[in-house]
Amino acid sequence: MLHHTAPVVLIAVVAYETGTARLRRRGDRWPVARDLAFAAGGVVVLGAGGVPGFAGHMVQHVLLGMIAPVLLVLSRPATVLLRAAPTRARRRLKRVLTSRFAAVLVFPPVAALLEACGLWVLYRTGLYAATERNPWLHGVVQLHVFLVGVLFAASLCQLDPVRHRYGAALRAATLVAAAAAHAVLAKTLYLAPPPGVALADADARIAAEVMYYGGDLAELALAAVIAAQWYARRGRELRRTGAVAGSP
Amino acid sequence: MSHEVPVRREVRRARSGWAGAAIGVGVAAFADETVFHQLLHWHHFYDRSTTDAGLVSDGLFHAFGWVALVLGFVVVADLRRGDRLSGRATAGGILAAAGAFQLYDGTIQHKLLGLHQIRYDVDLAPYDWTWNVVAVVLLAAGVWLLRSARSRTA
Repeated sequence: MLHHTAPVVLIAVVAYETGTARLRRRGDRWPVARDLAFAAGGVVVLGAGGVPGFAGHMVQHVLLGMIAPVLLVLSRPATVLLRAAPTRARRRLKRVLTSRFAAVLVFPPVAALLEACGLWVLYRTGLYAATERNPWLHGVVQLHVFLVGVLFAASLCQLDPVRHRYGAALRAATLVAAAAAHAVLAKTLYLAPPPGVALADADARIAAEVMYYGGDLAELALAAVIAAQWYARRGRELRRTGAVAGSP
Repeated sequence: MSHEVPVRREVRRARSGWAGAAIGVGVAAFADETVFHQLLHWHHFYDRSTTDAGLVSDGLFHAFGWVALVLGFVVVADLRRGDRLSGRATAGGILAAAGAFQLYDGTIQHKLLGLHQIRYDVDLAPYDWTWNVVAVVLLAAGVWLLRSARSRTA
C-alpha cells in the first residue's frame, strides 16, 4: 500500500514542517521532539505492510492503528494547524474541534468503545474475510483503523484543544478497559481465527501474540503520557500552595 | 523570608500504601509475563481449557498491571517531592498487592478458571504449593509492614 500512501504522508510531513517553521519564525517555542514524533509517525505509516499472512496483517494493525497514532498525537498536529493557519481557517477549525459532535467523539469512553467495537466487528464477522477478497474494502478498513486509532489516542492524551478536559482517573480507567478488550480479543484469535479464514497454526499464534504484546506497547506509551500530565499538574498545584521544598 | 513558616508536612500513609499496591500488582503481572511466559516458557499463552471468565480476568489484570505500574511510580514520585511519602507503607503496599495478585493467579485464575498451569508435563502439586505459599508469605509481610507503618508516628 506504499504507492498510494507515500504521497499523502509526504504532503502531511511537509505541511507540518511548514507550519512549525512559521511558528518558530514568529518566536513560538516548539520542541523539536514534536517534529520528530510527527515524522516518525509518518515513517511508521509507510512501514506498515509487506509482511505476509495473518501475522503480517497484525503487524500492520499494530503499526497503523496504535503506534503511528500515538506518535502523531504527541506531535499536536491540530495545535500547529490552529496557530499557523490564516485567521479565517483558524476560526473554522477551532469551531469544528470544539464542537459538540467532536466533544462526544473525544469523550474517552466513546472513543474506546469505537476502537474496541471496530476491532470486534473486523475480526468476529465476515468483514476480515471480505477485505481479503476486495482491495478497495481493505483500504477503507485500514483507513478506518488508523483514524479510530488517532481518535482514541487523542481522546486519552488531550494534547490538542478540546471542548472538555477529563481527569487522569477517567482516562486511565478507559485505557485499562480498552487494553483489556484488546488483550482478550488477541487471545481468542489464537484459537478461533476470523470467520471464513483458514490459518496455519503458527500464523495464528504469532498474529495473536503480536496483537497482545503490540497492544502493551501502545498502552504503556499512553499510560506514560497520562502519568506525565498528572505529575506536571500536581507540580503546578504544589508550587502554587508552596508545598514543595525550595519553592518561592 | 519572614513570611515563610516551615510547614510540617503530613505524611500521606494511605496514599503511599495505595501507590505501593498499584506498583505491586504491576510488578507481579510484569514478572509473571517476563519470567514465566517469556524466559522459562513454563506458562502457555493460551490453554485449551481456559474459560471465558479466565480470559477476561487475564485481559483485565494484564491491562491493569501496566497502567498501575506507571501511575503508581508517578504517585510515589509526587509524594516524595512533597515530602509526604511513607516508605514503609509503600513497601507494605507493594508486597501485599504482589502477594495478593499471585495468590489470586495461583488459585482462582490457574485452578478455578483454568487460565493455564504453572508448568506442563510435570507433577503440578509442588509447583502449586510453592507458588501459593510464596504468595501468602509476600501478602503477610506486606500486611505487617502496612500495620507497622500505621502504628508509627510520622
